[in-house]
Amino acid sequence: MNTFLAAVEFEALKFRRARLVWTVTALLGLALPVLAAVFTVAATAGGSSKLGLKAAAILTGRGWSGYLGAVGMMQSVGALMGIGFVVCWSFGREFTEKTQAGLFALPVGRRQLAYAKFAVILAWSLAVCVAGLVMAAGSGAAIGLGLPGPEALAAAAQALAAGLLTALLACPLAVVASMARGYLPGVGGLVLLVVITQVVTTFGAGAWFPYAAPGLWMGMGGAAAAHINPWQLILCIPVSVVGMAATGQWWKAMEVTAG
Amino acid sequence: MTTRAGIRADRLTTVLGGVRVLDDVSLEVGPGEIHALVGLNGAGKTTLMRILLGMLRPDRGTAALMGIPVHAAGARTFSRVGQMLDTPFAYPELTARENVYSAARLHGMGRAAAGAAAQRALAALGLDAYSAQRAATLSLGNRQRVGLAAALVHAPAVVVLDEPTNALDPRGVIVLRRLLQDAARDRGASILVSSHHLDEVARMADRITVLHRGTIIGTLPPGTVDLERRFFELVLASETQFEEQA
Repeated sequence: MNTFLAAVEFEALKFRRARLVWTVTALLGLALPVLAAVFTVAATAGGSSKLGLKAAAILTGRGWSGYLGAVGMMQSVGALMGIGFVVCWSFGREFTEKTQAGLFALPVGRRQLAYAKFAVILAWSLAVCVAGLVMAAGSGAAIGLGLPGPEALAAAAQALAAGLLTALLACPLAVVASMARGYLPGVGGLVLLVVITQVVTTFGAGAWFPYAAPGLWMGMGGAAAAHINPWQLILCIPVSVVGMAATGQWWKAMEVTAG
Repeated sequence: MTTRAGIRADRLTTVLGGVRVLDDVSLEVGPGEIHALVGLNGAGKTTLMRILLGMLRPDRGTAALMGIPVHAAGARTFSRVGQMLDTPFAYPELTARENVYSAARLHGMGRAAAGAAAQRALAALGLDAYSAQRAATLSLGNRQRVGLAAALVHAPAVVVLDEPTNALDPRGVIVLRRLLQDAARDRGASILVSSHHLDEVARMADRITVLHRGTIIGTLPPGTVDLERRFFELVLASETQFEEQA
């Protein structure tokens, strides 16, 4: 347990020193709630501008619930991209920067190191999602939505849940970044995943496709497609757990054959 | 009573990409001994060290650290091993001190002990003035020093270093030599180093093994001045034999 704590401490130190992490934090925690606020203002301004009409089509409700729904919708896409980038960097950098040899012959096993990376990434994801909602509370008040009511709390909880499910879904990308030994292949896998999600959703099977389910639940596919049953959302968890376990197993068995 | 070797390779054979990189290599490093491995580029030095540290499984043969087969070694064994292969343990976003402290923590040291040990290791390698500087801003030589400090911070009983004097200035080379000699003499560390610098190896090592085309082709007498000539005689003899067999 002590060696695992040392590994978490080590990964957390590298994590909080990384510029990429701070950039993604700013985008997910600050920029997305502000952007959603801009869309909400455009949609409710009553004008017939293109932006206003498109923004109105995105919103799934009025007031706080509509605004927080937009935040959750953007986060479900943004979190997969942003957290996915961070996952690929965290695992792939050890190979791209050739630091993996230093992770051998240690009392802390490489599987523990991989799980320490996941622990740090998921704790940070939770913090970013919560920060995004705090920012959304400020932005919503700033655009004149008034005091949030009980329906706003429900919308906030849904947005938080969608963000966290998406964070979990980003974790299996570590398998790609590890097996392909670099963060760029991982990012390639992320892009492919987004494309596949689009195709699957277009063909109407999105609700049972874990990478599409949180976004659809937030209203990405319109109100009709937003009726996602709990099992379809829960499916995200085993997909994530299997991805993390596979990564841990790969890290345990990995070898260094080239410099 | 026999003294247990800190490092032991027993008849290691490895084929990578169809090439026999190591062929029946056996080697031993006893407590308090500095054993140098010399050879041309591609001789198999790094591959041998990777196997000894559990980074690669051999096709045949066994590797052991402090009497424990490396594939079965656990936290207790590895807490007493220090190594630097390929790239120094010097994450660019961390300061020199943070890198060395992290290495100490990953080797099982407590926070306070790791902090004090990191400070000592940085001072021993002449990095005091750079301890708060990020590794990304350090020169190549100082990054190498950070990696060496990270490998030695926990006073390991077994040390494996691949080309440790690369990028070091002459002062750094002397500092490292003294650190390794002290570690071998004072706490009986078993030390395996590879190097291209034959004169440096001659000053430091108790034993020098020559590796060529994945095979041990002989030894060189340490402490002598004419190592280069002897080294090339061994390599030439091995090449001649290789061509005759081909």
